[in-house]
Amino acid sequence: MAQPADRPFLRLFVTPSVLVAGGFIASLAVILQYSLRAHIPGELEPGGFSLGNFTDMLKPLYARAFVDTVLICAETAFFTLLLAYPLAFALVRAKSPFLKSLLLVTAVTPLFLGEIVRTYSWIIVLGNTGFVNSVLRGLGLIDQPIQMMFTKFGVVVALVHVTLPVMVIMLSAAISHIDRDYEKAAASLGASPVRTFLTVTLPLSLPGIIAGVTTSFAWTFSAFATPQLIGGGQVSTISTLVYQLGFANFNFPFAAALSFAGLVFTIMVIALLRRAARPLEKMGGHA
Amino acid sequence: MNSLADLPRTTDIAGQPNAAKPAVRIDGVSKAFGDVTALHEAWLAVGRGEFLTLLGPSGCGKTTILNLIAGFLEADSGEIFLDGAPITNDPAHKRQIGIVFQNYALFPHMTVEKNVGYGLRMRGVDKTEIARRVGEALELVKLPGYGGRRPRELSGGQQQRIALARALVIRPKVLLLDEPFSALDKNLRSAMQVELKEIQRSLGVSTVFVTHDQSEALSMSDRIAVMSAGRIRQIAAPGEIYRAPADRFVASFVGDTNIFQATRVSPTSVIVGGFLIDVMPGPLEGTIDGQEVELFARPEELSLTSAGAPGTLPAEVVTKVYQGGYSDFYVTTPLAAERVLVRIHGPAALELWPEGAKIGLVLPKTGANAFPPGE
Repeated sequence: MAQPADRPFLRLFVTPSVLVAGGFIASLAVILQYSLRAHIPGELEPGGFSLGNFTDMLKPLYARAFVDTVLICAETAFFTLLLAYPLAFALVRAKSPFLKSLLLVTAVTPLFLGEIVRTYSWIIVLGNTGFVNSVLRGLGLIDQPIQMMFTKFGVVVALVHVTLPVMVIMLSAAISHIDRDYEKAAASLGASPVRTFLTVTLPLSLPGIIAGVTTSFAWTFSAFATPQLIGGGQVSTISTLVYQLGFANFNFPFAAALSFAGLVFTIMVIALLRRAARPLEKMGGHA
Repeated sequence: MNSLADLPRTTDIAGQPNAAKPAVRIDGVSKAFGDVTALHEAWLAVGRGEFLTLLGPSGCGKTTILNLIAGFLEADSGEIFLDGAPITNDPAHKRQIGIVFQNYALFPHMTVEKNVGYGLRMRGVDKTEIARRVGEALELVKLPGYGGRRPRELSGGQQQRIALARALVIRPKVLLLDEPFSALDKNLRSAMQVELKEIQRSLGVSTVFVTHDQSEALSMSDRIAVMSAGRIRQIAAPGEIYRAPADRFVASFVGDTNIFQATRVSPTSVIVGGFLIDVMPGPLEGTIDGQEVELFARPEELSLTSAGAPGTLPAEVVTKVYQGGYSDFYVTTPLAAERVLVRIHGPAALELWPEGAKIGLVLPKTGANAFPPGE
């Protein structure tokens, strides 16, 4: 083990991150402190110590929100994976540099759009008089507009767009680490391209899939603008509820309790996914 | 029924390829990558049960030939035959070819058993039959009982055996080996070479072996195809490649050699420093009597004696290296541009002359090779 003396810049470099981490921990402590105090209706200042906020969370309304949020996260992760895998695969395996750049730009562009801009553009696409409905009506495929705004479906579509770039990047990293000799070996042993993919390429990219799904899950769980604007109050997630409780009802203690529960829950889910992925990481994608 | 003994075989193992129906035949195959021609119209036949080595420096086209046989690359022109049937347009997975990769490419997410049985599962062989044949293959490579392990739990040598078992268990029509020893340390490498050769002999499986290591090629092959810059320069048995190389490249790539200035006096003899030396016929075609040529002599064909002895070239010892059973003397002589390596056998050879000593260098009277001057 190297002594600090061996690394003269260590203290200099670590100090800023310690300060930032200190700020985060302090604010979390404040939120935790809020969550353990009673709400006095009509007052911004919370009352005395109480565990009431956490027991209230067991009410059906909030339990529902938890379940809905998890479902939205799971669906988003699933559909993102479904879209991102072929994109990432093509990105890694494409031979033409032009096609590679085109795919990369397509996949990564959503990262450069602001959250609000991106969300409003989905409103334009998904609205009753929006792009999708106009096209379908123009083609005579539907008479009545399909309701996509203010639905869970709309929220998931917009969230997939948010998480796609990160998933593509993580999957491409995993796929690019797969030695092509494994696939050649499978082919020489009689596996068709499809079976080679299913028995060799896909299992070897599992560590990337787990990492991508974990990230997508955590990210969607805390997403606010998308479910708020596209869901328009019809889709309740933990973050929209926190906003509503805090800024419409001014019930800061309960909002704090809900945030805290959400944080703990996310950490638990990530820990669980990582645990599931451990044997896969051990086996390693490359010899 | 001993399944691994069912491999195609003939009695014609050591000699020339079975001309009627070679295991692999490559007819005028060319391959280019962009502007770079990796292979210029290669012609090659691998006999049944033969161990043929493709030898050459990196970028010579040997791996390209391997990939063309395996089906990982498509030929630009020419035809490839496997057991007499054209396979030029068959995809890799329909070719029935076993390959051992340089890095072994054992599937890291499968046990040894699953790895070895993979090819059989892809062929829809039933479970009990797979278990039996996998067991047999593991016996063959002397790793019975390793079925439940993961590849990463095995040493390099063990991984290589498993890779070999995986390639052989499908009863391939030809076994391709892509520099399989390059990742092993020196002692293990020699042991694996002997073992691989024994397995190959006992099964009589036709084998194409790719290497850049000339000693590996000389020790293992029935025949060697020496390649350079996308062309096959010579195909012959190891002894012939060593004794009668077809051109300068083969002569200098395979084994150590020394080059002397010489003058052609006939198609089969040259003069070096006033001495007449008989050379192998062939390479001097295209030159004329009296032309400057170069004599190539192996280190063990040369000998040293005291200075000024009749029939010797004047030379001086620069460095000597003790090698145990023999000693290498590096000497200079006006008739050679580079230092000349002379290999003297016997444990006491080192004591004969000190460094700096003036000595006489004795050239071979016959058996050496002469080539037109350099490329």
